[in-house]
Amino acid sequence: MSKHINLTLKVWRQKNQKEKGHFETISAPDISTEMSFLEMLDVVNEKLTLAGKEPIAFDHDCREGICGMCGAVVNGRPHGALKGTTLCQLHMRHFNDGDTIAIEPFRAMAFKIIKDLTVDRSAFDKIIQAGGYISVNAGGAQDANALPVPQDKAELAMDAAQCIGCGACVAACPNAAAMLFVSAKVSQFALLPQGRPEAARRAIAMVREMDRQGFGNCTNEAECEAECPKQISITNIARLNREFFKASFGSAVK
Amino acid sequence: MLLDGKVPSGPIKEKWDKHRFELKLVNPANKRKFDIIVVGTGLAGGSAAATLGELGYNVKAFCFQDSPRRAHSIAAQGGINAAKNYPNDGDSIWRLFYDTVKGGDFRAREANVYRLAQISNHIIDHCVAQGIPFARDYGGLLANRSFGGAQVSRTFYARGQTGQQLLLGCYSSLMRQVAAGKVTMYPRREMLDVVIVNGHAKGILVRNLITGQLERHAADAVVLATGGYGNVFFLSTNAMGSNVTAAYRAYLKGAFFANPCFTQIHPTCIPVHGTYQSKLTLMSESLRNDGRVWVPQKADDKRPPQQIPENERDYFLERKYPSFGNLVPRDVASRNAKQQCDAGKGVGSTKLAVYLDFADAIKRDGRAVIERKYGNLFEMYEKITGEDPYTTPMMIYPAVHYTMGGLWVDYNLMSNIPGLFVIGEANFSDHGANRLGASALMQGLADGYFVLPYTIGGYLAGTPKLNPATSSPEFEASERAVQAQVNKLLSIKGQRTVDDFHRQLGLIMWEYCGMSRNNAGLEKAKGLIQNLRAEFWQNVTVPGNEKDFNQSLERAGRVADFLEFAELMIIDALERQESCGGHFNEAYQTPENEALRNDEKYCHVAAWEYKGTGKAPELHKEPLVFENVHLTQRSYK
Amino acid sequence: MNWLANTLTSSIGKKLLMALTGICFCTFLSVHLAGNLTLLSGSTMFNSYAAHLHSLGVLLKVAEWGMLLLAAIHILTGLTLFYQNWRARPQSYELKKRAGGRTLGSATMPYTGILLLAFVIMHLLNFHFVDKSQTTIYAIVAAAFAKPIYVVLYVAAMIVAAIHVSHGFWSAFQTIGANHPKYMPLIKIISLAFALAVGFGFGILPIYISMGA
Ligand SMILES: Cc1cc2nc3c(=O)[nH]c(=O)nc-3n(C[C@H](O)[C@H](O)[C@H](O)COP(=O)(O)OP(=O)(O)OC[C@H]3O[C@@H](n4cnc5c(N)ncnc54)[C@H](O)[C@@H]3O)c2cc1C
Ligand code: FES
Repeated sequence: MSKHINLTLKVWRQKNQKEKGHFETISAPDISTEMSFLEMLDVVNEKLTLAGKEPIAFDHDCREGICGMCGAVVNGRPHGALKGTTLCQLHMRHFNDGDTIAIEPFRAMAFKIIKDLTVDRSAFDKIIQAGGYISVNAGGAQDANALPVPQDKAELAMDAAQCIGCGACVAACPNAAAMLFVSAKVSQFALLPQGRPEAARRAIAMVREMDRQGFGNCTNEAECEAECPKQISITNIARLNREFFKASFGSAVK
Repeated sequence: MLLDGKVPSGPIKEKWDKHRFELKLVNPANKRKFDIIVVGTGLAGGSAAATLGELGYNVKAFCFQDSPRRAHSIAAQGGINAAKNYPNDGDSIWRLFYDTVKGGDFRAREANVYRLAQISNHIIDHCVAQGIPFARDYGGLLANRSFGGAQVSRTFYARGQTGQQLLLGCYSSLMRQVAAGKVTMYPRREMLDVVIVNGHAKGILVRNLITGQLERHAADAVVLATGGYGNVFFLSTNAMGSNVTAAYRAYLKGAFFANPCFTQIHPTCIPVHGTYQSKLTLMSESLRNDGRVWVPQKADDKRPPQQIPENERDYFLERKYPSFGNLVPRDVASRNAKQQCDAGKGVGSTKLAVYLDFADAIKRDGRAVIERKYGNLFEMYEKITGEDPYTTPMMIYPAVHYTMGGLWVDYNLMSNIPGLFVIGEANFSDHGANRLGASALMQGLADGYFVLPYTIGGYLAGTPKLNPATSSPEFEASERAVQAQVNKLLSIKGQRTVDDFHRQLGLIMWEYCGMSRNNAGLEKAKGLIQNLRAEFWQNVTVPGNEKDFNQSLERAGRVADFLEFAELMIIDALERQESCGGHFNEAYQTPENEALRNDEKYCHVAAWEYKGTGKAPELHKEPLVFENVHLTQRSYK
Repeated sequence: MNWLANTLTSSIGKKLLMALTGICFCTFLSVHLAGNLTLLSGSTMFNSYAAHLHSLGVLLKVAEWGMLLLAAIHILTGLTLFYQNWRARPQSYELKKRAGGRTLGSATMPYTGILLLAFVIMHLLNFHFVDKSQTTIYAIVAAAFAKPIYVVLYVAAMIVAAIHVSHGFWSAFQTIGANHPKYMPLIKIISLAFALAVGFGFGILPIYISMGA
């Protein structure tokens, strides 16, 4: 049943990349527990706007947990504490009357803050550009069923391919590493026969680009797996490591 | 004026081949001399940009999200159709073509639909080659399911995330072209104008959403792939940023807008639960395979569903449509739910919902089977509503989902403005008055991977090269106009927020131009919209400034366009005095309350031309000829 | 050889170095522990074990220098990781909570590592770089652990070692790519068992000797 609760928000406000940010305390009275977290922010923003203040900037689009655009660290947890859930799918019934909620942006050197809770995740695009694709032009493909793929392999590939590129893994990682993201893409293609021809080049190029973008080094803390809204497993990271070693020591790719 | 769709002559099966042969080609060495702008990087725009890059053109691609991987296409759940006939159940290109024309209630162009069905198979081939992990059978071959009431299993899927996987495949091809230097990606840009030079589309004006800078981009052709306008209703299953701005501003520059009143309402969405609500979530149509739709027989029955005995329930779809039952098409299911709620039989706190009950299915098949089929959907439902659909019937209600209308294009997917191409949901082309499930993804990718890359070459090869400069007076004028609008929005400093106006517009549209329409209501809505628009320009408040990341300003521009566009929808709905597909005018129905077409008078595409502020738009008709699928009345009894 | 440098200095390469050297240390620890447990059987056994070890001569020297090299790699790489990872998040969170992936071992790796380095230096000074011509190694050990402060320090160090190993052991497998849904749970159990063995095995010795003395 819906009820209404009163909350206090401690929100990170930062005008732009260059200026220093700070926490601002904003009260959020009379919030319906049926709202999603982002709807709660909408309501707060409407009030701020009418009071002549600047609303809180935050990224979002689909609001159903698939586009990967939303995300903030809520009470110390990327996308909030509920497992397997993006911020847009987190509902206010998981909070209590009188709670104070701290809201911070995803923090990492590779994710510069644009404004308030909005960060720049273009480093992820750069990593994909380095090799997160299969080189096939439109028009030349053989019949789709000419290449059977064992069902279990296809399912494992799909488990990895579910990544929404939200960056929560980086935000959660004590080292701000992007290994779960990179491993998900490398794994998807490594598991499928279509991906094998370029596997060596892909693994090396994507890892190098990841390093170049300023992400930290993985030290197997497994926080990424625990926070990933799509529950992508770190077995993918082990697979990436294997692919990387195979490529580095066993292939001709330099 | 009668519009010419430029459909090639000859038998329908040979039109596309013949046309491809007749199209002029751009010599491979010359392709690099052409710049092409692609606005939108969803399935349509992303696939077009990648493919044009592969062919050797220089492409500039734009989207308003922070990455092309986030376009709204990512949200599609159910699947993508193709006429592969892998299950050997009698499917064929012809059947897919036939189903799509009939499902569209005979308001689509036959030749386009046939081409779509032909190409559907190549799409699957290409997507598999890209490494998209489609569902597979134990033997390792691709699995299919039946979807959206089709009588064959022709839908390919990747769990409940087909759109995501297709988009990520298309995104990876796009990223490959970015790395190759053939595509330059401009994310966080909003297109605010098309620039026309010598009558041809030769550029666009965009706002950099981070810096607020207005940027000019010139090219030899412009492709719009900016998606649908469902958000004119405020609440819809579309992503929050989906808008009509790009298409509408092209309309203001002379592009014709076709069939704007054709919108699709999806019957199985999670109901609205409060005024603060920002969007609606679709629950896959597949749920209707096992769920039974019902309402209490008595109006205003406040008992919880479990306490309502079997003989006091009304399984209205099963009662009215004994042969199709709960599986009637989307428009029929939606309208019936509305009728029940209008009669006071709606359930839930808002009384705007009907039950979708799995109790019988669970009793019959066991919980485990139901969980395997719909587990992820049930989980999503519980996340949003906090109720467990295994024990309490789901509540569902129709919601705006897709827009069949869009910018008018010919067989080449070119609008009436030479050099301006429109693909994907943004054009009007293939779905007529109602789209069948799993065919929007098919259309977006067909347009982008396999149609536009040929037809745009025909335009480029056949048109003298202009090399427009961004310093030309046309760009100057465009920037001045856009700047003026931005300044205006920021200077009003009124009392109501942008969302507040948008929400009110949505209510008007839903009430009078939604699932069922009548002339009096439409007339009334027209007045309401005009008043609301007038108030908007007096009383809206947009905080912040222009040279900044200003999300309120972004929304203000979009809502300003929705406020104008809504009126065009109403005008179109009023003009079309018949019912067809998603457009249901209460005055035109069969004795069984089905949509009653008037093929004598309305078997055409209604394309509207902008005539200036305050002037009525001018209607142009493209007559539709059905030579292969014969005009019949749909029946689902 | 550019490729080798590129490989080993990449983020995964550095982890590989940590994993391989770490596995070597785990092997060393096992041998060392087995040898030390002879202490439980009294001075003769222990002294003869030591004598046996020293009779290896040149081999022992090779092993010692090898260990030094491994240590250098492990420490330098570890410090690089520590520094780079600290830099990867210039502004830390005001409030950050764990989601359940992090363990005591994983969260403290750099710190337990530095403590262990300090301990190893002390340990070598105590028992390695001492004049053994006039006495037996057992006597030196017994003399040291007669002082309660040494007992406490050694036991504490062994707890630290156990914590370090509890993450290091399974993490090495994950890094070299040996994460398999069937075997990983076992590796995690072995990791814990090994940490306990190191902690208890080495830890009881000072207590046992101090009580015996
Ligand atoms: C919830 C849901 C489920 C669906 N499920 C299915 C399904 O199962 N099967 C099926 O076939 N169809 C389905 N559809 C329909 C289908 O997803 C869409 O019709 C299709 O993806 C549209 O693709 P598109 O490329 O035309 O546009 P979009 O994917 O909407 O992309 C639009 C692009 O244009 C850009 N853009 C828009 N405006 C501007 C601007 N002013 N300036 C710059 N860039 C701009 C955006 O950034 C984006 O990149 C579903 C739709 C919804 C809402
Ligand atoms: S808004 Fe798309 S995942 Fe949250």
